[in-house]
This record gives sequence, structure tokens and C-alpha cells, in this order.
Amino acid sequence: MDGFIAAGIIGIGLGAQYALLALGFTLIFGILGVVNFAHGGFYLVGGYIAYAMVGMAGWPYPAAVLVAILTTGALGYVVELLLVERLVNDELATMMLTLGLYLMMSTTVLVIFGPESPEFIFPVSGTLRGKGFYIPLANLVVLSVCVLAIGAVYLLMYRTGFGRALRALADDRTVAMAQGIRPRLLFPVAFALATALAALTGALVTPILTLSPHAGDAVLATSFMVVILGGLGSIVGATVAAFIVGLVEAYSSVYLGGSKGALALFVLVLFILVVRPSGLFGREVRGA
Amino acid sequence: MRKILRRSSALMVAVVAAGVWTSWLAMPAGADCEVKLGVMGPLSGAAAAWGSAMRIGAEFAVAEANKAGGVQVGAEKCRVSVTPYDSKYTADGAAAGANFLASQGVKFIIGPVGSPEATGIKPVAERNGQITFNSGYAKNAIEPRFPLAFHQLSGPSTWARPVAKAAKEKFGFKSIVVVAPNDQGGTDIASVDAEAYRAVGVKASEEYYQRGTSNFAPIVARILSSNPDAVDTASSPPADGATIAKQLREAGFDGPIGRLGGPGTPEIIRAVGGIDKLKNFYWLEIVPTDDPGVKSLWEDYKSLMGAPAPDNTLMATSVVASRMILKAITKAGTAADVKKVAEALRSLSVEDRNLGKGEWTGQTFYGINQEISLPVGMGMIVDGKHLGVRRIDTSGQ
Repeated sequence: MDGFIAAGIIGIGLGAQYALLALGFTLIFGILGVVNFAHGGFYLVGGYIAYAMVGMAGWPYPAAVLVAILTTGALGYVVELLLVERLVNDELATMMLTLGLYLMMSTTVLVIFGPESPEFIFPVSGTLRGKGFYIPLANLVVLSVCVLAIGAVYLLMYRTGFGRALRALADDRTVAMAQGIRPRLLFPVAFALATALAALTGALVTPILTLSPHAGDAVLATSFMVVILGGLGSIVGATVAAFIVGLVEAYSSVYLGGSKGALALFVLVLFILVVRPSGLFGREVRGA
Repeated sequence: MRKILRRSSALMVAVVAAGVWTSWLAMPAGADCEVKLGVMGPLSGAAAAWGSAMRIGAEFAVAEANKAGGVQVGAEKCRVSVTPYDSKYTADGAAAGANFLASQGVKFIIGPVGSPEATGIKPVAERNGQITFNSGYAKNAIEPRFPLAFHQLSGPSTWARPVAKAAKEKFGFKSIVVVAPNDQGGTDIASVDAEAYRAVGVKASEEYYQRGTSNFAPIVARILSSNPDAVDTASSPPADGATIAKQLREAGFDGPIGRLGGPGTPEIIRAVGGIDKLKNFYWLEIVPTDDPGVKSLWEDYKSLMGAPAPDNTLMATSVVASRMILKAITKAGTAADVKKVAEALRSLSVEDRNLGKGEWTGQTFYGINQEISLPVGMGMIVDGKHLGVRRIDTSGQ
């Protein structure tokens, strides 16, 4: 029973991190129709900017996280404006472009910071312990920030005119444009928002795990799986799927081991996709 | 269109000219022949630190040789060049790398690094007529059917038992979980490590994870459910080892954490946040890093290359392998006849000016005596205090 509670807590923590990552990934697909293979790169860049600000410039960690979010968001804005925008209607070309961008980002990090992991530690230490469970305080802080950020994204998307405009573009770009919504203005902002979310996750999560130039690889795979499971482009789907993936990963790894656990997760995803090919909350056809 | 063609042609001429100029600059005075050394390993991804150390070690040995006027091949001195290849810690990457290097005229390869790469390169390099010097810990890192494959360091079959014995004596643990990735780069080492622990009277179990895992919290919870006295991260990449150690400590595990596997302890210490966070830790060093000769290698590197070497000890074994290959070429009097060079290599005594004397081993475990066995070290951190790295005697293993 102790292991069951501990696994559940670990699963919720993983789910919140995956949700934050997947939200950015699904926003870009939902609004722009672009499968952003560079998402892991923005996570990586966010982590390394935060590390550089803390470890090299001596800034306090919260300020470093803020700088990472703003800088990576600005980078995302520029990338969309100068590169993605030109190919935005060609799904295959944007896939290749973003994959290339990811390789460039991870190699640049490797060249600048070297292949070895730097010392980047979360400023809060200690562990909350109870009967049959433990939660590192750092994970609790990260979980809280993730939940707040997910809530903020929901408010932005469902309670503001800006969010309504973005959702209109996701639903039907042609009709949205006929209503006066200008994708050339909103696409870079949406891309910046998504990359800022990736950077926030990178800056929050890498100090509780380990920062290294390949840290974006796993992020891309996880985000992709969560978003496919939730339904490409669905914000609610991505959030629900993230928690499902987090909990299944935790329980299967604890009870079946690292190898069989990973297999169980993929079998479950495969099964759900066989039953619902468009994902849990996905639509049959993208409107945009 | 014509304008574009003209510009492209001018650019190509400039690139070729720049290439010729830089090659000429790198060539020792008077050299009119060239020996090409390939160096292979993961230069990207989780194991990039190992591949970079391998590359840097070969580059240093080559710079040394070129500074001395090149390598003696028969009657002439030839300059030595290095061609690196990123084999990405995969079998197919290493096999493709062997072919690429063959296409560049490379007959001698320092590396690859990991077991999957060693598995991939052996048949291809044998067919291409290339000598390889891998550092993988696979149970079949070298084999009698691939006589051109050499091993640049001793594997777990040599050092696991004495290090396990020393760790047990120091920390007094009775049970251990050995955790590693679930591919050949993990299982071949973890299984030998576990066997070594059992041989010295420790109850050992193995736990494997999917390579690419970044958050080990569920694996840590599973490990702790068996209530072990100690945990060994074996050949997990350093970043994985650091995360496992960090999450074990967060979960309240205060027993010793070991690492009977690949190099990377300084990276783990740094990523975890210092030795006081690791508390009790022991590890294998593939070279005894506190020995004066080994320390002087890092000083020599800095003085020749103008920058500090990485603290990854694979750099040292790569230097030894590169120096041995160059010595063998000189002894054989040819860089063209690979079989003759391999024969000369086998006949050389294992001795390095930095790492000291060693021996050729491997007959008992691999069935072929083509493994360079030099002294290894064992490092310990006890109650947050670094006790240094002591030399471990592996003779008779």
C-alpha cells in the first residue's frame, strides 16, 4: 500500500510536468498546424539560460527562470516570424525545419557548455515525509508552479479575447481571417507562448533532474506521445493525457520495472489509439 | 543563374584553398606522407562526454607525435591526422562510421566507446581491414573471430570483484541493487557486476531501465521497495547516474551508492551538488587518477594543447591506445599493411610513460589476448569526505 501511494504521488508530479510541456506542443499544432520537433530544444534552452543566469551571472533562481521564459519566448517569436511563417502551410517542410532547429539548438548548447552536466541545483531542498510516501519539497514547488501555469494558460485561452482569436484560428483559419483575425500577427505570439512554456518547464525541471545537452530528446518523445494520446491540438486532451501518462509510467515502473513499465505505457497508448485513432479528445479533421 | 554558378564556383575554390592551407599548416616540417587515425564515439547525446574524451585523447596523442616530427614509418616520418566520427552510441552508427572512415582511407580507429558500438563495428571493420580499439564493457567486446579488434581498457571481468570486495569491506553492506540501462551497454556490465558482488558474499539483484529515461523517481521507488543496503549505478551514463543518486538521496536512502562502470564520477558529483550531498559513494576509476604519472598526463595536455583536458578518464585510455597504435606502425614499418601492424601491436609490451606498466589480457574471458590491462583505481567518498583514489590490484583476475 505504501508503494501504491508513493507511485501515485510520483505519477501526479510527472503528469504536471508532462502537461506543461504538452500544452506548448499542442498549442502550436492546434493553432499553426505545425508539429514542432524543436519543442525539446526550447526546453533545453530554457534550462541552460536559467543555469547560466544562476551559475555564471549569480542571479537569484526565480529571476533566472523569468529571464529564461522571456528570452526563449522572444527566440520562439523570432523563429516563427523569420522561419516557420514562410512554410506554415507545408506540414512536411515545417517538420523538417523544426527537426533541424532542434539539432542546431542541442549542438549549440553542446559546443557552448560542453557535453558534461553542470551543477544546477534547485534552491529548495528537503523532503516532506509521511506514512508510505515522500515528496521532495523541490518537486512540490515545481508541481505548484506547473498547476498555476496550466491554470493561467486555460484562463488565457478561454477567458480572453486573445485566446478566443487563437481558438478561432485553430477551429477554422479561413473563417477566422474573414472575421478580421490576422494570423501573421497572432502566429508568432502563439509560438512565443508555447516556447515560453517549454522554457518554463526546462528551467523548473532540469535542476531537480540533471541538465545536459541531450535533455531535450526525452522531452520531444514524451510531449509527442502525450499530445497524440490526448488528440493533436486539444488543450484539454493534452492535460488529461499528461496525467494518464504520468500515472501509468509511475505505477508500471514501480510494479513492473523500468523495461516492462516502458513497454506497458506504449501498449496502453497503442490500445487507446486503436480504439480512438484521433486521440482521447481529438477531432477527426483539423479545421485550420 | 550564371551569376549564382559563378558565385558558387568561387566559394568552392575558396573552401578548397582554405582546406589545403589549414592542412599544410598542420603538417610537420618535411613530412610528405600521412597516417590517418580515426576516432569514433558518441559526440552527441547522453554519452557525448565519453565520446568527446575519446576524441580529445586521440587528438592529444597525435599532436604529441606531430610535435616530434611525425610518426616513423619505415624510412620516412609521416604526419598524423585525426578524423572524428559521431557513432551516437549505436551499433548502426558505428558500422556506418567504419565504412565512412574506410572511404577516407582510415585504417586505424581509436574507439568506439560503448558496447552497442563495439558490436556494430567489429564485422564491418574486419571486412574493411581496419584495426579498432574499443572501450566497451560488452561480454564480447573482443572476439577471436575478429582479430583486428582490440580493447583499450580492462572490463568488469577484471576489476569488478576486487572493487566489490573493497567496497563491501569499507561500507559493510549485505545487499545491493545494480541499476543500468536495458541494452547491451547496461546489461553486459550490470550482470558481471552483480556476479562479482555475489562472489564476495553480497546479495545482489539487477534493475534495468529504458535508455533515454530522464526522471528516475519511479525506478528509485521500486529499488527502495526491496530495501537494499547499497545501490550501484554500473554503466549508466553520468547524467543518469547523477539523477539516480540525487533522487535516491531525496527519497531518504542513506546507504552507499556505487559505480562499477564507465567514467564520469566528477560529472556526477557536480550534477548532484557536491560530495556532501552524495555522502557515501564509491566508484571505479579506469586509471588511478591520484598517481603522479596519471596527473602529469593532464598537465602535459594543458601545456601542449593550451587548454585543460576534460576530467573524463576515458581521455587517458584513448591516449594510451593511440600511442600504442603509432608505436606499432613504427615497429611494423608500414601503415598500409594492417595485419602486419596488428601483429606488431600484439608483440609490443604494454607500457605507457604516464600510466605505467600493464599487460595484454583477455584470453580467459574473451578467448583472445588483445585487451590492454593497466592499473585501475577505486575512489571513495565516506560521510561527505573525499578519501581519494587508490590503486587496485587486478592481477590474477
